[in-house]
Amino acid sequence: MTAALTALPTAFEAVKVDYAAVGPMLVVVAAALIGVLVEAFAPRLLRHTIQVVLTLTALVVAFVVLVLVSVDHHGVTVGGSIVIDGPALFMQGSLLIFAVLGILTMSERFGGRSADAFTPMGAATPGSPAEAAADRAGYATSEAFPLTMFAVFGMLMFVSANDLITMFVALEVLSLPLYVLTGLARRRRLLSQEASLKYFLLGAFSSAFFLFGAALLYGYAGSSDLSKIASAITTANGDLEGLLLPGVVLTLVGLLFKIGAVPFHSWTPDAYQGAPSPVTGFMAAATKLAAFGAILRLAYVGLEASRLEWRLGVAAIAVLTMVVGAVLSVTQTDIKRLLAYSSVAHAGFILVGVLAFDRTGVSGVMFYLVAYGLATIAAFAIVALVRSGGSEATHLSQWAGLGRKHPVLAGIFALLLLAFAGIPLTSGFTAKFAAFAPAIAHGGLAGVVMVVVGVLASAVTAFVYFRLIVLMYFTEPTGDDVAALTPSIASTIAITVGALGTVILGIVPGPILDLAGRVSQFIQ
Amino acid sequence: MTSGGEAILFWVLAPMAVAGSLGLVFARKAVHAALGMALTMIVLGVFYLAQGADFLGVIQIFVYTGAVMMLFLFVVMLVGVDSSDSIVETLKGQRAATVVLSLGLGVLLAGALGRVTIGDAPADKVHALNAQNGNVSGVAELIFGRYVWVFEATSALLITAALAAMVLAHRERLGSRPSQRAWSERRIRSGENLAGLPVPGVYARHNAVDTPALLPDGSPSELSVSRVLTARDQVGNATPWVEAEREIERDVSQDRDRDDAAKEDRA
Amino acid sequence: MSNPYVPILFLLALGFVFAAGSVFTSLVVGPKRYNRAKSEPYECGIQPSPRAEGGGRVPIKYFLTAMLFIIFDIESVFLYPFAVAFDQLGLFALVEMVMFIITVFVAYAYVWKRGGLEWD
Repeated sequence: MTAALTALPTAFEAVKVDYAAVGPMLVVVAAALIGVLVEAFAPRLLRHTIQVVLTLTALVVAFVVLVLVSVDHHGVTVGGSIVIDGPALFMQGSLLIFAVLGILTMSERFGGRSADAFTPMGAATPGSPAEAAADRAGYATSEAFPLTMFAVFGMLMFVSANDLITMFVALEVLSLPLYVLTGLARRRRLLSQEASLKYFLLGAFSSAFFLFGAALLYGYAGSSDLSKIASAITTANGDLEGLLLPGVVLTLVGLLFKIGAVPFHSWTPDAYQGAPSPVTGFMAAATKLAAFGAILRLAYVGLEASRLEWRLGVAAIAVLTMVVGAVLSVTQTDIKRLLAYSSVAHAGFILVGVLAFDRTGVSGVMFYLVAYGLATIAAFAIVALVRSGGSEATHLSQWAGLGRKHPVLAGIFALLLLAFAGIPLTSGFTAKFAAFAPAIAHGGLAGVVMVVVGVLASAVTAFVYFRLIVLMYFTEPTGDDVAALTPSIASTIAITVGALGTVILGIVPGPILDLAGRVSQFIQ
Repeated sequence: MTSGGEAILFWVLAPMAVAGSLGLVFARKAVHAALGMALTMIVLGVFYLAQGADFLGVIQIFVYTGAVMMLFLFVVMLVGVDSSDSIVETLKGQRAATVVLSLGLGVLLAGALGRVTIGDAPADKVHALNAQNGNVSGVAELIFGRYVWVFEATSALLITAALAAMVLAHRERLGSRPSQRAWSERRIRSGENLAGLPVPGVYARHNAVDTPALLPDGSPSELSVSRVLTARDQVGNATPWVEAEREIERDVSQDRDRDDAAKEDRA
Repeated sequence: MSNPYVPILFLLALGFVFAAGSVFTSLVVGPKRYNRAKSEPYECGIQPSPRAEGGGRVPIKYFLTAMLFIIFDIESVFLYPFAVAFDQLGLFALVEMVMFIITVFVAYAYVWKRGGLEWD
């Protein structure tokens, strides 16, 4: 039971840290700390520039360290808390790219003095003279950048966590900054604050579920290490069998909440709608990737031996997620809520790949996450550009005729929508194929059923996206003065990278698929 | 098994813990609920100590009755002591569904976990460990050894909490605060209230910032009360204080007379 | 019952006896002269003003103080086992602890510089 306690060394030994393996995380957290100091000591008007330069530099450095140094340092380190293996490295690299794109979109100023997406003063009463005065005086919430870096740190840790305690702390480190960022939108502040509170409360519940499950699994295996849990499942004598399934279910509930799987999705539309659009894009792409990374590791490393007991339950959740996400996205009238329900449906599609329980499933899921993330960040960056009367024009009717006024922007958005729908020659198609094929090959009857539901749900979501494209191109604009702002170089880069990625992953997916395939082996 | 002392401890404290938790659930006032929770938490801490889990016991009292309780009280203060939940259902049937689902989850968990039997072995291990090195040292070795990465990552959480509190709750002052010198210069320049504003009412036994001072003719001075209180409609009236004082003075003097009379009687 | 806690029990009992005893003694020994001034919250000083509309909510500023308290409270949770086992842990743990304290003090520096501790 308490093997970990009795196995204590009599003399204290410091753990060995493979600094090369955890280097990217150290760079990111160091940048976050420096960012906090910048907030404390730098003059107000310089903070935005310093923060953007600092965070982008740190993310690029972390990526370079990851690609050049960490790749040669596979293994379990820091006493067993962190494991750096193929999937961890692949997902950390993708997370860093998402973070760069996310920071680029968050730094958008549209010619103003501070980031356009964030409120000048979070504590000022929404719409009050104090808020306007703070804006005039050049106040800005540039804390958003260090907060984002802390979230990135948590995500990097989440996908490489090798025990449930590390996983839990990583979950909190990545979640807390996102709760705060959600509440910092410059416009429609009340909606934003409401979203933040809802996200926080439901997130706190899901953390509690995860923690309860982790405690039960610890009781079952006598250790929170995933590998020890795995060996306990194969060798257990049955005394503590009653702890296993509740533990598995509760930990999975905690993680499924983060990806927005039905019935744990109710925060998704509100949080996505209320959060500042660049934050929504970053959160949709990066949180989803990090949470799926954790689910993959938990399912493939820790719980695989017991999968027969819970696989069908998760398959039911996947089916439910695809159906509910697809059907509810039909009824949405707000573009951000529509994309939120589409992200719910995508979570279901990705779960299908997870349940294949094969290396190809891992690589398919990782490829899907990259493809979806790139498209999502670009899509929300475009949503942030379309304005009416100073605030974002998020109602679908306001998007009517956008294709005539802004052909390039609408064209890119249409491309991203096609990718979400999974049309051939876009990343969405390759991604769906990569996630569904292993389910058919290794998933048995449940896999086939899930894929059939997935294809049907894709057809439903495709209808939604085509309707939007028709609206943009073949409908007369309404009287509203809807116009797209001209993005600065930063957002332009983010949108371009997202769109290019979508096309490249659709036409020549080979290199990335190969890479994902090569690195899809977890260290047990 | 339990010794006599431990059994007494249990039977004395366990009802207190249960009473505290019932108070938490059923108390009508938020502050009473919070105090009920504090009681339960302290009792649980004592139980942990009694079972040889020193670290857990101390942290239980330290964190729950210190930090968590204080946060609770702050939340109560922020939303107002008297505020109560709205009992209007925004989604129909939500409450019934909540009851059914949470009961279902409870029954499922109880059914699954109830099948597990755990012997005395774990308790023996704690005692063995206590005899060997002490479990606080044991926890220290785990925190600074095996789980050192998690420990350091916790600081990221704490910083995020500080950032969050500042970003969401701190209103920075726009512009610099006028100094005392600036104030007095402004007064001299405007030529009004050169000696400063009159202070609020000070009476023989009471002084209250919300009660205006009385001018020589007995009328209240508007200037002596803060503008904020005037805006909030919270300015008091001096008359009750003046009357109350007279009454108390009368009481006291009657009291003294009675005492004196009693003394004279005795004499 | 574990031995080290007996002094705490004694202290608890002592505190109780002292509190109950002093109340009881003043009942017996003290003069019994009652008037309205005696039954007021403060015999002199500021009279509590009536509660504001909305049930006496305190400003959100207090929340900052509460949060800072929590942060350093949690920090001391880690200091406790460190202090107990300091001699066995060696240099590595000292370095870790110092790093932890420095990182938490980054938050403190931020709150301080941005005026989170000022009261106006």
